[in-house]
Amino acid sequence: MMVNDATLVLGIETSCDETAAALVMGGYDVVSSAVSTQVDLHAQFGGVVPEIAGRAHLDLLNPMIARAIVEAGVTDDRIDAVACTVGPGLVGALLVGVSAAKALALTWDVPFIGVNHMEAHLYAAFLEDPTLEFPLVVMLVSGGHTMLIEMQGHGQYRLLGQTIDDAAGEAFDKVARFLGLGYPGGPAIDREAVDGDPEAIKFPRAMLHEGLDFSFSGLKTSVMNYVRKHPDVSAADVAASFQAAVVDVLVQKAQRAARQVGARGLVLGGGVAANSLLREEFLSACTQSGIRGFLPSRAMCTDNAAMIAAAGWHRLQSDGPTGLDAGAYPNLRLSFNP
Amino acid sequence: MLILGIETATQQVSVAIGGHEGVLAMFEVSRGRRHAETLVPAIEFVCRQADVQIAEFGAIAVDIGPGLFTGMRVGLAAGKAMAQALRVPMIGISSLDLLSFPLRHADRTIAAVIDARKGEVFYAFYRPVPGGVQRVTEPCVGSVDDLVADLIARGQNVVCVGDGALRYRDDIASGVNCDFAEQFVSYPSAAPLVQLAHARALREDWVNPWEIQPMYLRAPDAQINWSTREGSA
Ligand SMILES: [Zn+2]
Repeated sequence: MMVNDATLVLGIETSCDETAAALVMGGYDVVSSAVSTQVDLHAQFGGVVPEIAGRAHLDLLNPMIARAIVEAGVTDDRIDAVACTVGPGLVGALLVGVSAAKALALTWDVPFIGVNHMEAHLYAAFLEDPTLEFPLVVMLVSGGHTMLIEMQGHGQYRLLGQTIDDAAGEAFDKVARFLGLGYPGGPAIDREAVDGDPEAIKFPRAMLHEGLDFSFSGLKTSVMNYVRKHPDVSAADVAASFQAAVVDVLVQKAQRAARQVGARGLVLGGGVAANSLLREEFLSACTQSGIRGFLPSRAMCTDNAAMIAAAGWHRLQSDGPTGLDAGAYPNLRLSFNP
Repeated sequence: MLILGIETATQQVSVAIGGHEGVLAMFEVSRGRRHAETLVPAIEFVCRQADVQIAEFGAIAVDIGPGLFTGMRVGLAAGKAMAQALRVPMIGISSLDLLSFPLRHADRTIAAVIDARKGEVFYAFYRPVPGGVQRVTEPCVGSVDDLVADLIARGQNVVCVGDGALRYRDDIASGVNCDFAEQFVSYPSAAPLVQLAHARALREDWVNPWEIQPMYLRAPDAQINWSTREGSA
């Protein structure tokens, strides 16, 4: 099939705790985007409960698809392809989206496109700034990942660095839980840190001057040790100092990566990219270094289906449709160039 | 009216097309690839072989469980999406009803028993009535001992059917005197599903796709699985 500027792709996302559907035209133009978050359902457990997520996706997906189509003001027969996250993620959650997406593709007799959720995060920035040029360095920070990726072209990636232990978002969740600030940890720390002094405690910046890999497990341990030794410390100061340490490392490594590959742009993505301090520091470092920095909106950093539809459009153009015998691949990885 | 039946509540994937003449086409496989990989190609296959266009379906029937949660949701998600896209109603039928219906000519009580894993079974009792079966107890989940106690309490000869009855056959038989149905009827099938759904469709006894509810019978296991969450972004 011809994939062009008028090709309208329905995107579906159910990999974790957001149920989302969106329509994107020509790979860049978000026509509609509907997201329903399940955070409240999981908050009491301090993390995403896979079976609760699976049940909620089944209830929420049809209304999200209907909303995306109604908000776009189109009829079903205008939809040219259906793209859906096939991994990575929770298998029981992924299967709801994959089953629905393939059934829609069969019913409408249009191509199905299986999308890698990580790749979709890389495409989120293009939805808000289609003028981004390659090579591009994307820093992907979420509950599951902390990665620096060089995008050499559409679908062409090189892994520059990644965490050797905890993901940044995981460190936020664990520290927030330890401080009794609630779930999810990112926004909780963000809120608490507002009233704290980021220089109150000098937490370690692991591997700051070595390469492009990250390590956050030592930082988490030193936060816990500090609080045990100083039980009267203000939680706001701990949150602010911890957040400053994480952001410091992320921002400096991102700058180093961009310099190293001669990037024409530096992009932030993933759920942790919604963090206020990270956004602020990321942009000011870009201004100082003269590297073009791009920050997608908070809605585009967190899980959504517009990025799935966008990545799907590019995939359809380069590789064609995915077979209807596709399944869910919970441990799917991005394929990197050698 | 043509009805598409989707059945994925046990380890079997079953798809059938039914109409007023009965079952027109059917695909069934109980081993091999996983539900999500098999189901949609199976629907495509039966439609092509039966020369039926998807747009011809007037209703989508689906097994609502009880059964294996992840498998059930594959069928429900696909069925709900198709029904929404076709703007047709849905008919949800319990897996236990589907197991007992083929035994409607047995002249005694039927125990439909589905393996619920973790040493438990989903079950309900039925009695044959003219033209079908009638459920006499609410579907429930319990240990094999609970099932045996309920079988003893019935105080009559019962025939047990289902993959739960098959798996725990020895445990059940050592506790109570009862019969077991043939192995080939151990999984709920989409053939009785479209037959039962057709009767309901004639009465317009159906729901909108967003109203259909799975029958889980067991609360979610709220164990946070951080290891599987690692893979998510
Ligand atoms: Zn994500």
